[in-house]
Amino acid sequence: MKEIWQTGFLKPMEAFLKQMGAFLPHLGAMIVVLVLGILIAWAVKSAVFRLLTSAKFDQYCGRIGLSQALAKGGIRETPSHWVGRLAYWTIVLIFLMLGLEVLNLEPVDQFVTQVFSYFPHLLIAVVILIVGFLLANFFGRATLIAAVNAQIIEARFLGRTVRIAVILLALAMAFEQLGIAKTVIVAAFSITFGGVVLALAIAFGLGARDSAKQMIERRLKKEPEQKEEDFSHL
Amino acid sequence: MTLREELKSRLESIGPADILVGIPSYNNARTVGRVVHAVAAGLAKYFPETKAVLVNSDGGSSDGTPDVVEKSTVDLQSILVAHRVNPIHKIVTPYHGIPGKGSAFRMIFDIAKDLKAKACAVVDADLRSITPDWIELLLRPVLKEGYDYVAPYYRRHKYDGTITNSIVYPLTRSLYGKRIRQPIGGEFGFSGDLAAYFLDQDVWGTDVARYGVDIWMTTTAIARGSKICQAYLGAKIHDPKDPAADLSAMLAQVVGSTFALMEKYADQWKAVHGSEAVPIFGFEYDVGLESVPVSTDRMVKAFGLGQSELMPLWAEILSQSALSELKELKPNGSDFSISDELWTRIVYDFALAAHHRVMVWEHLLKSFTPLYLGRVASFILETQSLSHHEVEDRIERLCRCFEQEKSYLSDRWDQPMSHGG
Repeated sequence: MKEIWQTGFLKPMEAFLKQMGAFLPHLGAMIVVLVLGILIAWAVKSAVFRLLTSAKFDQYCGRIGLSQALAKGGIRETPSHWVGRLAYWTIVLIFLMLGLEVLNLEPVDQFVTQVFSYFPHLLIAVVILIVGFLLANFFGRATLIAAVNAQIIEARFLGRTVRIAVILLALAMAFEQLGIAKTVIVAAFSITFGGVVLALAIAFGLGARDSAKQMIERRLKKEPEQKEEDFSHL
Repeated sequence: MTLREELKSRLESIGPADILVGIPSYNNARTVGRVVHAVAAGLAKYFPETKAVLVNSDGGSSDGTPDVVEKSTVDLQSILVAHRVNPIHKIVTPYHGIPGKGSAFRMIFDIAKDLKAKACAVVDADLRSITPDWIELLLRPVLKEGYDYVAPYYRRHKYDGTITNSIVYPLTRSLYGKRIRQPIGGEFGFSGDLAAYFLDQDVWGTDVARYGVDIWMTTTAIARGSKICQAYLGAKIHDPKDPAADLSAMLAQVVGSTFALMEKYADQWKAVHGSEAVPIFGFEYDVGLESVPVSTDRMVKAFGLGQSELMPLWAEILSQSALSELKELKPNGSDFSISDELWTRIVYDFALAAHHRVMVWEHLLKSFTPLYLGRVASFILETQSLSHHEVEDRIERLCRCFEQEKSYLSDRWDQPMSHGG
């Protein structure tokens, strides 16, 4: 009975406690690293927020249309809040990975190495998306205003089309960077973009054939366009 | 010898001059010959004892403009009683720097400084109505009366110069307190000292060098405290500009330059209240002007398109009250009207939005075009049956509105924008 108790329970318990004894310091170290990470992340978040506020980052984002776009998406917080939050979670993630490394478990080590090697691609993809979004707003708005001034009725449609095209391009580039369905994304984008350009060329060539002919003839002969008024604005 | 060395050698051979007349040009072969004749005749007739230099600052014309200037001569026998004592020196030179009228002027100021010219004038190369009298009227106040700056005063068709009439004149008058009727006229007289002052300013790499030089000169002269007058030149008729020229770009350029100058001289214009008359030289005679065809339909449609497509963008710029009034406007029919009060608010709101950088500068200025066209259409509809003098009274009323509403602008200049978005 005593033997069964010893071999069946005490010895495994002993081995388990030994393993726990070897593991617990690592777990404690991981918790310390995590807590430290959260404290540092919180401090960095406050510092980033204060720095961006003093540099009038929110006003700049308003000027380029980012604040308005966030507001339309139901996000009421300012861009500087978001950047601060991004900094916070980035640091927490880094310290979480460091904490997992401290556990000194091989499968965990491999996972952490993979995450760290993927992180630059993730960062680049985020930058591509942000820049793409800003450029989409800029070009979309520029197209809208130019089309209105050229008295094109479909001005809003044109502006939206340009905006969506730039966003799609940025998304395709971001997915390519992340390695998500790389060939599918590139192929799909190329086919869609090429198809749209071909459709526009056919529509213009067939549907607006006479107008195109008149425009080209006017350009070649350098004829002035008809004006309804003859006074000088300047 | 390089171009610059050649020019320097030429200037050294001419030596100090009393008068310099500059003609900036770019592809004006059709009209520049007549302008040169008028300038030469004016110098010969009114300033025969002076040493005068005519400078053509050309922007790389491809139609032979500089050749026309070089070859232009005038038969002074037919117009003079007495012979001119000094010959008129002619300099034809390309200018350097950013392409634009401002760079052409910079070259003229540079030459004026080298020649130590006492009085200078600039005239456009595309003028059809210039006479020799213009030279006397632009230069005599500087040479004989001690004025630093002479702005032109024209008799124009009641709908000519709508950018001047509806924006630049009322705005600069209310800001700087001087009733200069044609602040971007194109023909100016100024002293050699003022030319040297212009040259010393660090603006020649900016938009001033392109297309903002007229308003920049006028505003700088006022801000400097120069003694300013106006010269009545009669009718201003110039070669029609390329009809395909982009109104939106032109408007953005002029209005953008005006707004940029508001930044520079904010302390000065905030301290100004009301306005004072600026003396006018020359006999103000009436001029018969041909009627011009006008159609407001296209302009009202342009406004309507802006109203339907740009309202979210305008909401970031305009005050709630201006926006609400704009939303109520019906862009059809002959009762379409943008009141003076609404127009003044719109211009001031755009100036504030430009100052506070609420959006990309180019987008802000170009989105102004449909509003401007709406205002022009409204003005034309309102004044169709009015005479020239009655239209001038109407413009005077608009200017007083700008002056009365100025506190709206100055109170909000240093505060963050509260509306929009």
